[in-house]
Amino acid sequence: MTSLRRSFGAPLSAVIVLLTGIWVLGLIAAPQVIMIEQSFWRMDRPAGAAELSVRIDALYNRLDVLALDRAAAEKVKTPSSLNAELARLDAERAGIEAEIARLEAEESTPVKTWTLANYAQMGQAHLWIFAKTILASLAVTAIAFVVCYPIAYAIAKLEPPRRAALIMLALVIPYAINELLRVFAWQMILNYGGPLNAALGLVGIGPVPFLESGTGVFVAMVYAYILFMVFPLYNVLETLDTNQIEAARDLGAKTWQIHRRIVLPHARPGIAVGCIMTFMLSAGSYAVPYIMTRGTADPWFTQLVYNRFFQATNWNVGAAYAFSLLLVCTGFVFLMMKLLKVRLRDIAK
Amino acid sequence: MDIALDGAAVRFGEFQAVHPTDLTIRASEFFSILGPSGCGKTTILRLLSGFLDPSEGEVRIGGQPMAGIGPSDRPTALIFQNLALFPLMSVWENVAFGLEMRGWKKAQRRDKAHELLRMVALDGQADKLPGELSGGQRQRVAIARALAVEPAVLLLDEPLSALDLKLRQHMRAELKQLQKATGITFVYITHDQGEALTMSDRVAVMNRGWIVQVGSADDVYHRPETAFVATFVGETNRLPGRIETASDGKARIATPEGAFVAENPAGLSSGAEAILFLRPERLHLLAGRETPANTLTGKLVRRDMEGAFSTLVVETGAGQLTVQRVNAGTDPLPDGPLHLGFSDSAGVILPPGDTADD
Repeated sequence: MTSLRRSFGAPLSAVIVLLTGIWVLGLIAAPQVIMIEQSFWRMDRPAGAAELSVRIDALYNRLDVLALDRAAAEKVKTPSSLNAELARLDAERAGIEAEIARLEAEESTPVKTWTLANYAQMGQAHLWIFAKTILASLAVTAIAFVVCYPIAYAIAKLEPPRRAALIMLALVIPYAINELLRVFAWQMILNYGGPLNAALGLVGIGPVPFLESGTGVFVAMVYAYILFMVFPLYNVLETLDTNQIEAARDLGAKTWQIHRRIVLPHARPGIAVGCIMTFMLSAGSYAVPYIMTRGTADPWFTQLVYNRFFQATNWNVGAAYAFSLLLVCTGFVFLMMKLLKVRLRDIAK
Repeated sequence: MDIALDGAAVRFGEFQAVHPTDLTIRASEFFSILGPSGCGKTTILRLLSGFLDPSEGEVRIGGQPMAGIGPSDRPTALIFQNLALFPLMSVWENVAFGLEMRGWKKAQRRDKAHELLRMVALDGQADKLPGELSGGQRQRVAIARALAVEPAVLLLDEPLSALDLKLRQHMRAELKQLQKATGITFVYITHDQGEALTMSDRVAVMNRGWIVQVGSADDVYHRPETAFVATFVGETNRLPGRIETASDGKARIATPEGAFVAENPAGLSSGAEAILFLRPERLHLLAGRETPANTLTGKLVRRDMEGAFSTLVVETGAGQLTVQRVNAGTDPLPDGPLHLGFSDSAGVILPPGDTADD
């Protein structure tokens, strides 16, 4: 703090501290705290409360029907029979209103109860989808790594710089298009009647249900998040001294040995960053599985979270689901760092 | 093992990096390739190590043609200019890397690595990372790593250039001693003529893709065959002129300062344009009744004290000449004009051509 004040002066230091505080509180702490808090309580109502409110609702409905009956009677009935009819309807209305008042007096306000029950809500089916989402995200991460490592290595070490820049440009250009459009494009390509199946049909294969089998989600995700793997890998591979590769070769190393002993160990921080980013993005992706499967294949866990919030309108269970996902993802980050022996500082670099 | 280049040449597109070259490096020889940057010396090294194939001609090591044999399968080991130690491996793992690649067991690798580290006096540092060592120690790790694979030929690409002067001089002696002890053929690439002259059995001087002269350190220093070698290796004075007479391997050259007799290795005949090259230490102040073959007079412009000797800059009719004078603590410099002289075997007359500074 003192060194900050010495470098920037008191007013500027105050601004820096304030902005950092806003960042930490507003962008990191507050959303998490609010979500976690949500996930640990629910609104409890005493036994019979639900039936009570159903009965009150039914009575209100009956009131509306009576009002309609009354309006209808005024139009069609002759004056003589009208009065008797109106009296009958008004009497019934008064009876119902009295009943509603009695029942509403009985009705109690729901109580906020702290509980872990929101987490226990996840039934076997949802747990299975949760596990499958994590496994699928791991698979997407693995596929992305396998696809991106040779690309990044080729750009960083093999190509002459000008061609490397060109490949880089070709990789970036698709990202100028909105992600949703790109995913829709893949949805069309992989569709049952899409161009890929048409092409496969020409050689006598298919049609293959890419979307319905869930393959489409993998393809679209690897495609959508490839840059988040390529760039960290490229950045770290570019800093590898080419002489080290040649030295290893000179000392008798074969190509795979060079990669195992020299290139991969050097690339560890980049691998960690790339894997973490790709995993987080795929595990947390909503649009890609939604567009690619449209309900024809198993949903992604994020879709369940969405449904808790906006279809079951149970925000507490939704928050519990979301927090479970966050926990597993955070666990993955630390596992990755442990496995690759990377510290936070290396990743920040 | 001996090495032979047989008309080997390297072209990168339009650029001729190495012109067709015939060169023989003898077994167990300390051979240096000396030249300015961009002269093609590193290309020759890559040709020998197998990272590059000749565009034409052939490379043979130990009589064996090397075409199609990659760097990992050649009996050579390369020490890189930046050493290229593996920063994430400990010192002993670095040294044992070549053995690991050859499938040695870990215990054997470790023993061999320790043995090599003892040889380069680094036994206590085996478990450190290269980054924790000093420049000279890293140097020795690189040597041990290269020697671990028991190469018949060790290729060194300016490995001392990153060290400071004292350490560089010390490592020169160590390298030379190591080469003698192991009997391995050393091919040493450098742009530093001091390194090349002190360590080498023979030196090849390169310029613009050509090997212009091969010989012992004395040969290239005292008996340069081209203007480039005369100017690139060591300091020299230049006196341009025209040959008056030539006979018996000597010639008389007319310069603005007068006519001088010197060696004529190129066999220039009278009337030819030529340059007389004269080392500063071969030009000396005349005292008493000396009557050397060549004399000239000049005015002292500057005296630079350099410790063991001083450098005198003398203005003459043929421009400024430098004279090196050993500081033996005797004669003070005379006042007035300086009388200089040199013997008829001190200078070399060569045809004009590329020089080191153009």
